[in-house]
Amino acid sequence: MKFTLAWLNEYIPAEGMSAAQIADNLTMRGLEVDSVTTMFTDLESITTARVVQVVKHPDADKLTVCSVDTGDETVQVVCGAPNVRPGMVTAIAKPGVKLPDGTKIKKAKVRGVVSEGMLCSARELGLNDDHQGLIEFPEDVSSGQPIVDVLNIRDSVIEVDLTPNRPDCACVRGIAREVSSFCDGVLKPLVPSVTPLTGTGLDFEVLIQEPALCPRYTARKLTNVTVGPSPRWLQQRLTAVGMRPINNIVDVTNYVMLECGQPMHAFDFSTLKGRKIIVRRPSPEENRFTTLDGSERQIAPDMLLICDNERPVAVAGVMGGLETEITETTTTILLESACFDPVSIRQTARSIGVHSESSYRFERGVDPDLADTALERAVNLIVELTGATADPTGIDVYPGKKEPLTLQLRTKRVCSLLGMQLEQDVIADHLRSIEFTVTELDASTLHVTVPSFRVDVERGIDLVEEVARLVGYNEIPTSLPFIRMDYPKRDELRSLRQTIAQLMAAQGFYEAINYSFVNEEHLDDCSIQETDPRRMVTRLLNPLSEDQSIMRSLLLPGLLENIRRNINFQRTDIRLFEIGKVFLRETTDPLPDERFLLCAVISGQRYPEAEPFYFANQATDFYDIKGAAVNLLHALRIQATVSDTTDPAFPQQRVQPYCDPTQACVIHDGGLSIGSLGAVHPKTLKAFGIKQPVYFLEIDLEQLQHLTQIPKQFTTLPKYPSVKRDVSLVVPDSVAAGALLEAIQNKRQKYLESIQIFDVYQGKPIQTGFKSVALSLTYRSATATLDDQSVDKLHNKIIDFLMSEFNAAYREGI
Amino acid sequence: MEQELNRLRLEAEQALTQVTDPEQLEKFRVTYLGRKSGAITSLLRQLGKVASEDRPRLGQLANEIKQHIESQFHDKKVELCDDRAENRLGTIDLSLPGRYLPFGKLHPVTQVMDEICSIFEGLGFAVAEGPDVETDYYNFEALNIPRHHPARDMHDTFYVADSILLRTHTSPMQARIMEQQDPPLRYIAPGKVYRRDSDITHTPMFHQVEGFLVDRHVSFADLKGVLTSFTHKMFERELALRFRPSFFPFTEPSAEVDIACVMCGGSGCRVCKRTGWLEILGSGLIDPEVLKMVGYDPDTYSGFAFGLGVERIAMLKYGIDDIRLYYENDLRFLTQF
Repeated sequence: MKFTLAWLNEYIPAEGMSAAQIADNLTMRGLEVDSVTTMFTDLESITTARVVQVVKHPDADKLTVCSVDTGDETVQVVCGAPNVRPGMVTAIAKPGVKLPDGTKIKKAKVRGVVSEGMLCSARELGLNDDHQGLIEFPEDVSSGQPIVDVLNIRDSVIEVDLTPNRPDCACVRGIAREVSSFCDGVLKPLVPSVTPLTGTGLDFEVLIQEPALCPRYTARKLTNVTVGPSPRWLQQRLTAVGMRPINNIVDVTNYVMLECGQPMHAFDFSTLKGRKIIVRRPSPEENRFTTLDGSERQIAPDMLLICDNERPVAVAGVMGGLETEITETTTTILLESACFDPVSIRQTARSIGVHSESSYRFERGVDPDLADTALERAVNLIVELTGATADPTGIDVYPGKKEPLTLQLRTKRVCSLLGMQLEQDVIADHLRSIEFTVTELDASTLHVTVPSFRVDVERGIDLVEEVARLVGYNEIPTSLPFIRMDYPKRDELRSLRQTIAQLMAAQGFYEAINYSFVNEEHLDDCSIQETDPRRMVTRLLNPLSEDQSIMRSLLLPGLLENIRRNINFQRTDIRLFEIGKVFLRETTDPLPDERFLLCAVISGQRYPEAEPFYFANQATDFYDIKGAAVNLLHALRIQATVSDTTDPAFPQQRVQPYCDPTQACVIHDGGLSIGSLGAVHPKTLKAFGIKQPVYFLEIDLEQLQHLTQIPKQFTTLPKYPSVKRDVSLVVPDSVAAGALLEAIQNKRQKYLESIQIFDVYQGKPIQTGFKSVALSLTYRSATATLDDQSVDKLHNKIIDFLMSEFNAAYREGI
Repeated sequence: MEQELNRLRLEAEQALTQVTDPEQLEKFRVTYLGRKSGAITSLLRQLGKVASEDRPRLGQLANEIKQHIESQFHDKKVELCDDRAENRLGTIDLSLPGRYLPFGKLHPVTQVMDEICSIFEGLGFAVAEGPDVETDYYNFEALNIPRHHPARDMHDTFYVADSILLRTHTSPMQARIMEQQDPPLRYIAPGKVYRRDSDITHTPMFHQVEGFLVDRHVSFADLKGVLTSFTHKMFERELALRFRPSFFPFTEPSAEVDIACVMCGGSGCRVCKRTGWLEILGSGLIDPEVLKMVGYDPDTYSGFAFGLGVERIAMLKYGIDDIRLYYENDLRFLTQF
């Protein structure tokens, strides 16, 4: 909502208040001012000048050379305007001045004659479209004055960001009403008096067939109308608030709407068939209608139309029709000032895709009591501007007339809700300041009548807000609530997510956050099969783009896109993780199953950000991501295993289609798989345009949450020393090192405390097809120091077992 | 030879105990460890003359003794050392970087979100999260925003079905929690929200923390008090606050909260558009309609609710000037926080 200060001052003088002060007060009353712009700042340095002498240009027929008095000197200016004459007072732009269109005036030679400035037309000054000749001021105006002062157009445009509950302020008078509550001065009436609309002696009729959708319809006819451009003041006002002047009739309807909030429409009366206005729904065949902007609109059966005796002539409250619009030849008009149901208008405007100034106001609620006053105002203006004759009266069909709303307001409730003490008469005075009628019912209750323009005030609580607003929110004290002590409930999963995020960061991973909606092609890029539940996606009906059209069912693609982006910006060493929801639709529930996953990726150097002096040239590999997973599980005290996906114990665990099958593991606890890790499949990498290996890890956090945590349980510290024995064995390549460990562990050998792999070697001098695995075994007794002999015995037993079990041999040369 | 070596060791140890200043230490070094005529060097030279079968054993002993004296010498040197630069010559280069495995970092949105939540948790609020894909009922209807209300224009909504949508705020948790529990209630609901809007100042997904408190006798003054405490804690300063009337369909009275601009302190700058104020959250007393819909008696209970944008607060706290940076996950950005 835009208005100018001068316009506002017509209804409320608000003397002594600057635009900025008014803006500030409005903002603090809930009418947030977005901007205050001083108008015509680009005309500040254009001044008045008197033409003293005019002679013909020696070398150009159409040009004259003028002597011009600028107030402090006389300069020579070459001019091409036909109306230039000695004695006239016009506007000069001196060298160095910039015109509104950006032209910079310079001292120049025009056809050999020096010109020290430019005399300007109204169009050149951006005032209006007049380019017939130089702008003229009365001859008694002295030279050298800023033209903005002479024209008295110094003004500011104030823009208010209106909230949907205040349609009463979608007009200058509504703002003025608010202003009158905080400054001295009384709101001036819109018209001196309103002609009673008796409906008698008229040569037209108005019928409302849908009174629920049209509570009121007023109209008046004007004859002998001369359609033409509006006067300058009217055009300027409309232009200042961003509306395009069209002709005097349309401009008046727009002006009155901006002035008092009543949308209006003017029909060319001669085009209305049967001298009738019928407010009704369309017949089945009336499914198309051409609005005055020339577009053909689809009409639905539930819309409200304004019709003549034969056909629709306007979409009620939204836009008029092309066939009945005002043209240059119109001489008789029918002026409509009506009120329509907000919901119906909103549905219609959305459905036909027209959001007009009119529909904006009707959707939010127009005061039905305003219709006749606004009509009077518009009629008066049209008579004044066009010399038209108005019918002595008009018609007023008002099926929706309502008694004014009255509410009871308990002082105690106001005070308790606001948390401050307010006297009853103070509350009453505040409400009266914005035209509420207030009487005292008893010592603790007020009887409040709500003015009809405040369509948003329907309940006691709405009055509480009005009081708070008028008292000023900043006058309300601050306090802290007293509430019974209670330990707040914790969301376990949220705590787990926070812990995991910390642990991942501690392992050098940076947290990423990606959009929840993604491109469906990601599923193909990750080779997700058609039967995979992750194909059961939640699709947006109105996505911003194809790139963001489905809710993600995987986190990895987002991180792969992040990797590609970082590589493009020369960050090739990457550790990222994301904890976020995926959306799956495995059931018929209309809401998808939202599950939190952890996904982490590593690529490039093993320790990005670390000092290359110590850690350079260590490319990351499978064991980094495996280690990250194991480390995380240890820290969470969760007893899950990371193992080879070919483990026959878990036939149901498949390798993820986006995982390289030769470097893939699952994370599981017995039969329950909670995630997987490995190298991203080269096919997938290619689809994401990544040319370096990437290793990933993904864990379903809800499943993880349900795994048993290893309890914290103290065991006595050992009293006796341990004994360590190493052994290096040569085994066939096909034997996994882990299998050796597992076999030993399964033997549960007494005194064997721990085993570690400390070397794996392939190559010379080991025979092809074999590898050496070096193990370190630690033995300890809880009750005695083990002697060498007994340890040797245990150790040899284990080695013998490994040799027979795995076809192993001692590695020679150790 | 062996005796001589052992004697030398004792002698050197003895001599070293007498050393009390760097000059004497230098003399000691020349006498025993000097490369040309030091006592140990001289003895080592004589090794060549001993019988070959004794040589490895004596050689090892000599080396042990040499290392022993050197180590004693070094200890003495450290003992006598002051921090004059010349004393450090020949020691390690302290300017080389330390060796460590760097940590990663949490996303700035997570950091700020956790901070917001922990301030409210400190005030006794519990945390609850709801679904991102929400019903029209909880997102709008239960919050007093009927289907054809113009307030729906304030939320450009993504739909997945006729009455299923991506939540446009985390306020649906108000209704979801109030339906399940009775007052007193203190909750915050952090999470992702979605609006169909994308430009320099809007991303189609962002994060919000919604909070509400319901009990008997909760007032607007309480709302002001709680939000003032929060803001002061969040920005680690007693910033001036301003409450302005506004409109949200689910609160009445509604208020926008501005803080004195964190960049210019209120004198006016580019960030605050020369107003000196920055809008940081929306709030208000919970509308009686909302209370009624969950079966609370609005004459008995009252409450307040507020919602704040996490990205906005992170922008103000860290001076981030482009909201799109949050979701690009560029390491040049993520490493800064």
